[in-house]
Amino acid sequence: MTTTLEEAKMPGVETEAEVDQLREVLEHYWEHEWTDGLPVVPVTEGYLATFLATVDRDPEEVLFTITHLNRHLTVRLAAINAAMAGCRPEYFPVVVAAWEAIAKEPHPARGIWQSTTGTAPFLVVNGPIRNEIELNSQGNIFGSGFRANATIGRAIRLGLINVFGLHPHKLDQATQGTPAKYSACIAENEEQSPWAPLHTDHGFNASDSVVTAYVIRSVMHIEARHTMDPEQLAMDFVDSIRRTGSLIHEYTSALLVLVPEHAEVFASAGWSKDDLRNFIFEHATRPRSELVAVGKDALSHKTRWRLASSHPDSMPDTAAASEDPDTVRVLSHPTSIQIMVAGANNAGVSAVVEVFTLNPPREHPFSYSKIEARK
Amino acid sequence: MALHELLLDPTGMEEHATDSTLSPRPVSLKGLTIGLLDNTKPNATMLLEEIAKELQEHYGAGEAHMYTKDYFGTPVKESLLDQIVDECDVVITAVGDCGSCSAATVADGIMLERAGVPTVSITSDSFLMSGQAMATVQGFPGFDFYAVQHPMASLSAEEVRERALTAMPEVLRILGVEG
Repeated sequence: MTTTLEEAKMPGVETEAEVDQLREVLEHYWEHEWTDGLPVVPVTEGYLATFLATVDRDPEEVLFTITHLNRHLTVRLAAINAAMAGCRPEYFPVVVAAWEAIAKEPHPARGIWQSTTGTAPFLVVNGPIRNEIELNSQGNIFGSGFRANATIGRAIRLGLINVFGLHPHKLDQATQGTPAKYSACIAENEEQSPWAPLHTDHGFNASDSVVTAYVIRSVMHIEARHTMDPEQLAMDFVDSIRRTGSLIHEYTSALLVLVPEHAEVFASAGWSKDDLRNFIFEHATRPRSELVAVGKDALSHKTRWRLASSHPDSMPDTAAASEDPDTVRVLSHPTSIQIMVAGANNAGVSAVVEVFTLNPPREHPFSYSKIEARK
Repeated sequence: MALHELLLDPTGMEEHATDSTLSPRPVSLKGLTIGLLDNTKPNATMLLEEIAKELQEHYGAGEAHMYTKDYFGTPVKESLLDQIVDECDVVITAVGDCGSCSAATVADGIMLERAGVPTVSITSDSFLMSGQAMATVQGFPGFDFYAVQHPMASLSAEEVRERALTAMPEVLRILGVEG
């Protein structure tokens, strides 16, 4: 087929003008700083209505409030930001449940996303909704490439920036932050897990769909392709969980994201999730001398942050009053370790997701909410 | 461009009115009771005490009362705010030297101003932007506060005193006191 130059150009001019106009719309969002830095999807009343139609909610219902910022996130604002993030309308019930879970967390409402620590919201999705909206749970789970994961996590971050004014360098004073702040939403690989899914640990039925929300710091790779011994494997996780760099207060918490292969090592040796939790809890300790070496062997009177016992504001930590003062626990409860399965069934590479933990530590360092779509 | 008018504002900010009215300023501090609101960050107590001492010795200020917040990251509780408003004529609050507490310190100042008490909020200068952003969120853009040189937490007593002396002209200016 041959086309003359004139034929190719004539319709092209108009089309190009339309594309220019689209780009100009995107620039409008950047000019208003209504973005995380990446382009957003333009949202009109008509498009918004398709999101609001997926849930049985009053658009003016408030999902999350930060009282001291004098700001409220309504269902309508959640939907505008979800649409801008690139969500499809059918993802919106997940976004609503995610905001409800975040609202139950203690730290977000108290200003943790203004803090220098630089934590991120982190979502785990369980239940049938994962397959209905094609959430990725198998392979490259923390990476890019899947619309539902990428945009549901981003919907939260855009809401924080736009509705709560948590712009970096302004109200968001994160010293470094984390890459997870762009978007962090994973789904459990329930199909390849030897155990019951995470949301059944919270008391839900496996047939329910649920979002669990965490406030996280780092996501650490654990390379463990070398062993079929459950104790060796568990100790490899323990080594990363008890690192001193995670200790701002006395304790830390973590979400262990096991690949199917690692979960199978434990399950086939007869370990339940509680067995693994308890093993990690017992072994996640440090000799006091190692805390002395990094200057974190005591607590501040005022803030309860870890500091050196030589500091004038120091007081002894909890372990100092225990039977074995030279062995310092870094976990306050066995449930400080949460366990789920996600990733491809192709290698022994799991992750420790560090959950932000202040004093007093929480027995269950997460919150959750059931996903309810309009029938 | 007409297209822009169709795009929805994702902030929900438009319905909020601003109120940037300061409380009436005293001409002199003579005999006035000074409230010191300590947010528990390291060296805040000492900085506030040094400033109060200066105001008493050189400007005739009256008694100084120290109040302590129970959490630095959020604004002062209503009951404590009411007590301070009841008992004090002017307030100094410090020190906003972290992400959440810098914003909270500015919010405290705005709440006290709106309750009729002239207030100097002190953040560290690393958190100037955070304080300004909070003022905007609170509907008081341009709220005047003092940004002390960062860092505060690691200073010795002598260094804290120097910071206090450096702050004095700005403290007096914000309080509207004639020097």
